[in-house]
Amino acid sequence: MSELSWGRRYLMCPPLHFGVLYEINPWMHREVAVDRDRSAAQWEGLVANLRAAGAEIELLEPKQHVPDLVFTANAGLVDGDVFVPSHFRHPERQPETAVFSEWFAEQGWRVDDLPEEIGHEGAGDALPFEGTLLSGYRPRSDVAAGPIISEMLGVPVRTIELIDDRLYHVDLTFCPLDDRRALCAPMGWDEYGRKVVDALVPEPLWLEDDEALSFCANSVVVGTNIVMPVTPARVGRQLEAWGFSVVESPVDEFLKAGGGCRCLTLALDVTLG
Amino acid sequence: MATEIVELEGHIVDSLLLAKVLDLILESGADYRIDEFELGKTNIDPSRTTIEISTDDDALLDALLEQLQVHGVNRTSESDAALVTSDRDGVLPTGFYSTTNLATDVRVDGRWHSVENPEMDCGIVVTDTQVRTLAMHRVRVGDRIVVGFEGVRVHAPSRSRDMRNFEFMNSDVSSEKPKALLIEQVAQRIRTVKERGGKVLAVCGPAVVHTGGAPHIARMIRDGWIDVLFAGNGFATHDMESNVLGTSLGVSVAEGTPVEHGHSNHLRVINEVRRHGSIAAAVEAGFVTGGAMYECVRRGVPFVLGGSVRDDGPLPDTMPNVVEAADAMREHVPGVAVALMLASTLHAIATGNLLPAGVETFCVDINQAVVTKLADRGSHQALGIVTDVGPFVQQLAETLCT
Repeated sequence: MSELSWGRRYLMCPPLHFGVLYEINPWMHREVAVDRDRSAAQWEGLVANLRAAGAEIELLEPKQHVPDLVFTANAGLVDGDVFVPSHFRHPERQPETAVFSEWFAEQGWRVDDLPEEIGHEGAGDALPFEGTLLSGYRPRSDVAAGPIISEMLGVPVRTIELIDDRLYHVDLTFCPLDDRRALCAPMGWDEYGRKVVDALVPEPLWLEDDEALSFCANSVVVGTNIVMPVTPARVGRQLEAWGFSVVESPVDEFLKAGGGCRCLTLALDVTLG
Repeated sequence: MATEIVELEGHIVDSLLLAKVLDLILESGADYRIDEFELGKTNIDPSRTTIEISTDDDALLDALLEQLQVHGVNRTSESDAALVTSDRDGVLPTGFYSTTNLATDVRVDGRWHSVENPEMDCGIVVTDTQVRTLAMHRVRVGDRIVVGFEGVRVHAPSRSRDMRNFEFMNSDVSSEKPKALLIEQVAQRIRTVKERGGKVLAVCGPAVVHTGGAPHIARMIRDGWIDVLFAGNGFATHDMESNVLGTSLGVSVAEGTPVEHGHSNHLRVINEVRRHGSIAAAVEAGFVTGGAMYECVRRGVPFVLGGSVRDDGPLPDTMPNVVEAADAMREHVPGVAVALMLASTLHAIATGNLLPAGVETFCVDINQAVVTKLADRGSHQALGIVTDVGPFVQQLAETLCT
């Protein structure tokens, strides 16, 4: 058993302009107001918990009119010094692409673009597991992105269909823990996707439906520390039995927009292939 | 039937996308055939497949294609066939698509349509309801004819599973094979297609009669093993000559020796049949009392006698206009599953030209050149048997008519 080779350096964006200004997933309701102070405190709490777990945090300057910029997981894909910016499905998030691309270019990353017509929502829809990128498709990303990303980054991609609108990104259904284990939410996948994950992950922790819908898979793993938005009791016990330290970092203000801890972070130290 | 060729590319094996797509196709009630499959060498290389999807109706196909699109299934970027309207009877537009005898599809309005009656050396006409081959002389002003190669695809011939029995005789022409075994195999093919409702066509040359085979052909017709007969003036003449006068071209069929003044026997028979007005009338009048033509008339088995320039008489049923004769033969081709080409060169080749490639053809001749010539003309499923036709049909009849 060895720890993940990535997950010690993250990009985050303070929630200065965060709010539910539109509805692009079943969790978003414009009539539900975001508590600014609470969301800021939760975000700060997450930063503190990640730093305490041993992670470095880099900050992206928030921008007006792009409230979901806080969900940096959807910035794009990171592979060494290459950054592939996301192509968002919804027009509301499409202005984020230029903001993220600019930041990465300024920081010295090589920015490689996906073909214009191909949709893919970055690390939110593609997580590395033991040399393979597990990518979700249908709600936000196109199935055709899989082979293109594979060729661009030289990494095998397994593309699985996400079938539940509430679990609209793969990072709501899948969380790599180490080189053998991952949190897996089969309710989010069709039968073929379940078989693909079953073949990929030697020791999956299968989540019950209510556990999956708590967003506990949307957690951030820093070595043997796991920062979770919520920790269902059974899941927490299993993780601790496996030797992980679980820290709960509530982000329920962000759940109003359909995001958890993972959505608020983008790992910058990922090397694929 | 509506069909569409689609492509699926990517990590379709590891991601189980191919399995999913194929399952979705079947679950929708459609059917598929994998046309091509290229497996990526490594787990990074994409795999690629083209799949032919077929459904009973267009609406189902459209709905299915829309459903499959999200999983990465795309129509192949192919264009419709170009159609040019004919401006003269009996003349195809310049640049017309010249057909093969293989199963062929034509793309019209974004959809592939099977050509209904594959036949080589024809044009393809597209009507509101069908796509079919059309011989040059049958073109009429206003027919929409396929020109060029765009939007036309031809299916490579494949031996049916049942034909595997024949693989041990893979040489197309077989002169050094055990004949009894070959005959048993031919008989088995005939039994199989008859069980499935297919038709058996016999194309007979006069040598069938000369070598004593006519009574056995007659027996197979009588017992229902032959459904259509194509021949020329000679076969029909000598078949009836042997029945009426016991000779074939003046040679006693029983004795094998020439009879006195026998050279005129066939002319006398033709003359009497002409007096009756038709072979059927000669049979009805009791002038002809047995033989292949007699059995055809008795059993209502259709026959076409195609004439030629050296015919004696000819018989009233012989069609002196060969274009009309070929058209008459065409009428009987649909449904034919086995063709027996028996010691016939002219009519066997003419028939070979009319048959779709899928028809199993057995060409029996003492002359290897005839068999080779037929195969060279593109009759892909022709098995040649180089042997004396008389004993062949005798054994075949004995095998079948038990």
